Amino acid sequence: MTPAVLLAAAPLPLLQNGLMVGAILFSLGLVGILTRRNLIVMFLSAELMLQGISVSLVAWSRYHGDFGGQVLVVFVLSVAACEAAVALVFVLQAFTRTGRLDSAAWQSLRESTLARSVDHEIPAIDAPLPVFPRLTPAGVSPEADADAALQREHV
Amino acid sequence: MSLFAQTEPATGSWLSTGLLLAVAVTSLAAGLWLLLPKAGRDSRWPWRLGAALGLLALGLFVVTGQRLGNLGEEAVFLIVSLVAVVSAAATITCRSPVYAAIWFALCLAGVSGVLLVLGAQFLGVATIVVYAGAILVMFLFVLMLAQPSGLAASDRVTNEPLLSAVAGAVLLGLLSLSIGRLSAEDPACCRPPSKAAALAGEPTSPVPVGEAVDLLAADQVARLGGELFGRHLVAVEAVGVLLLVALIGAIAIVSHGLEGDQAERSSLQEGGSP
Repeated sequence: MTPAVLLAAAPLPLLQNGLMVGAILFSLGLVGILTRRNLIVMFLSAELMLQGISVSLVAWSRYHGDFGGQVLVVFVLSVAACEAAVALVFVLQAFTRTGRLDSAAWQSLRESTLARSVDHEIPAIDAPLPVFPRLTPAGVSPEADADAALQREHV
Repeated sequence: MSLFAQTEPATGSWLSTGLLLAVAVTSLAAGLWLLLPKAGRDSRWPWRLGAALGLLALGLFVVTGQRLGNLGEEAVFLIVSLVAVVSAAATITCRSPVYAAIWFALCLAGVSGVLLVLGAQFLGVATIVVYAGAILVMFLFVLMLAQPSGLAASDRVTNEPLLSAVAGAVLLGLLSLSIGRLSAEDPACCRPPSKAAALAGEPTSPVPVGEAVDLLAADQVARLGGELFGRHLVAVEAVGVLLLVALIGAIAIVSHGLEGDQAERSSLQEGGSP
């Protein structure tokens, strides 16, 4: 199918498909940013919402035969890059202060009328930890860093 | 075939479209709620049930879309959008944040495929290069720097999973209803407007004055560049300044934060109070 035929064949269905994919991505990102507590995963969810918006904009741009939507997506991309840089710096600062990536570590900032959120039950790790192959040691072994060993059990 | 069928739905069908949509929304909410990490989970069956419910909701949304409007014809579009949607769901439900980031990379691949099908070649490639190549790698760097121990307790529980899943599913149901009602006959929304009339605030004339561009022409990237650096030159410059400001701001926050921490610590030590 040549591009011209594609363009002429189904402009409205293509628009609706693109808008639908964008809507699904946006909704999933919304759920993620509402529920997840890891600061970085919350941030990934925000990026997911931006992706949904980009897909919708490009679908409209294709439908109208206008570059405006694509130009707007270029700007969305650059603003997302700026946002990622600044927000990751804030996440790092928050981590150096609390030692956790948990958003509940900052719940002292909540409204004074709200109750403190407490984790009543933490589920156990359900998946077995991955077993990595052990390489034959070679060369001089470096001095052991106790802090680093504490921080890197597994990922 | 397209996601929303052009034909009028049969009026006497035993399952009304609204009921289908309601079932789709409900099963999406239930599936998301089962998939989200939460307390009291000790077996694999909620995960399997949640995934099955999510796929059922996806199928129901396709069927509902077919009844509301038109159902999607291009197999390529369906495949890449399926990749994008499924990996997006995995991104928000994955317990390990590193795996979530990797799923997000797969989602970006799917999104870039969707952009390519929609005729935005430059943006499809730029999404991979900028997002997967730069932003996602930055996320992974921060995760590796900051994650104290891989599976923190806070990654295994979520805030209000049921309410959020219901909110997201209902939002998606409303959006799909309004998307299904778009039609070419509606002059307010979907007819390609004449640019000049739209800019002047006049009602759009039936015959478009501003010519619609063929977005799939061979030189479309060059024309996108022409548009970007012609009509939107000032905005491009502003975005360049914004990037520079964000860069300087990030460095400034880091260095100032370190100084502030040290000052705080030394003042605490001098004061002798904890």
